[in-house]
Amino acid sequence: MSPEEEKKSFFQNLKEVIYGMAQHDMSRYALRTRASMEHLFILITMGDMIGIPILPPYYSLRLLPYVVPQISTWKRRLLREKDVSDAMF
Amino acid sequence: MSLRSIFEEHPERRYIMFGGKGGLGKTTFSAATAYWLASQGNKVLVFSVDPQASLSDIFQKDIFGKGPVKIMENIWAQEIDADQHIKQYQGEIRQKILDMYGFEAVPDEIEQYIQAASAEPAMEESAIFDAVVDIVVEGNYDYYIYDLVPLGHALYYLSMAKVYDEWINKITKLREEMREYEEMVARMKRQKETEEDQILTELQYIRGRINASSRILTDKVKTAFFFVIVPEEMILIDTEKAAELFAKFDVPISGYVVNRVVPRELLEQNIPSYLRNRIDMQAKYLQQIDGTFGNQVASLVPELERDVTGLPMIEKLARIMYG
Repeated sequence: MSPEEEKKSFFQNLKEVIYGMAQHDMSRYALRTRASMEHLFILITMGDMIGIPILPPYYSLRLLPYVVPQISTWKRRLLREKDVSDAMF
Repeated sequence: MSLRSIFEEHPERRYIMFGGKGGLGKTTFSAATAYWLASQGNKVLVFSVDPQASLSDIFQKDIFGKGPVKIMENIWAQEIDADQHIKQYQGEIRQKILDMYGFEAVPDEIEQYIQAASAEPAMEESAIFDAVVDIVVEGNYDYYIYDLVPLGHALYYLSMAKVYDEWINKITKLREEMREYEEMVARMKRQKETEEDQILTELQYIRGRINASSRILTDKVKTAFFFVIVPEEMILIDTEKAAELFAKFDVPISGYVVNRVVPRELLEQNIPSYLRNRIDMQAKYLQQIDGTFGNQVASLVPELERDVTGLPMIEKLARIMYG
């Protein structure tokens, strides 16, 4: 390895370590928040699916195609029972 | 103030509506007004959103769910079939899901939802008003005469539109917040641009539609709303209440048309006391109408010798109403 390459990979590693220490958690947290909001959004728009009508169905149908992939995880999450591990992860 | 002068002084009023309790003559007046406007050389569409619409009956032609049907020179009539509209809409949604994900069939869970959604009562109202937006946005006609559903429904829709609008605002805000999180993660991970949020685009579209449909009812410049009343106590009380509510939702009320007035000239003839009593009763309420609505009364329409169906009767009525 030439000294330049060594230097580069050293910086690359350093960058990743710093990302891991400082930002990884933050971005993971942000993604989790984002996912919760996604589920909240589906609840508001597709609430009828679990018996809570909120948005008029005519318009929620327009949004339906976009949330099709998330529907099953959303239902699982909303309908599952809570336990201690929820607080940990 | 006469009906004719209202139309002549306000040529910008292009959405004409007759509202009132059921069975007072909304459809009849819609048809007569269409007839008069058409005879003045305007292209007129008279349409109804009532599932029990009576345009077919008055024009003596089955037009239900057939799109705009030409009745005579310059007049087209249309009765919107809400069920058909909903079915078509469901089909579009299904197709979109299939196209987006390359499915062979719509997943069970989703299919169930699509079917359950259309069973909701609000579905029909929304579908109807959405169809109305389509008709009016196209702008193919000079005048649109909107044969309204009875008062309650129209009010229900107006209040619904207000609530929906606020809802959509909230949902849009949530969606925008979600977007911020997405962008934040993308920045931290140094990814390139995130995809455009199609849901946000859809939400904005929905808001546009809801506003457009309530705007048709509340446009101060283009809309003329007439209440149809008859000289009877119950009707007057209800109409006054309704007028207050309509005013609250900013529906521009252009005037009142009094229907079924028994001609006073009959008193000079030898008529039974039954009829005499009715004329006296009407005189009392006509006075009350004059006191309450005053110069907002645009026309007094006499009780005719027979019901109004078919073009000759419509023409006769148009001549009475518009002179």
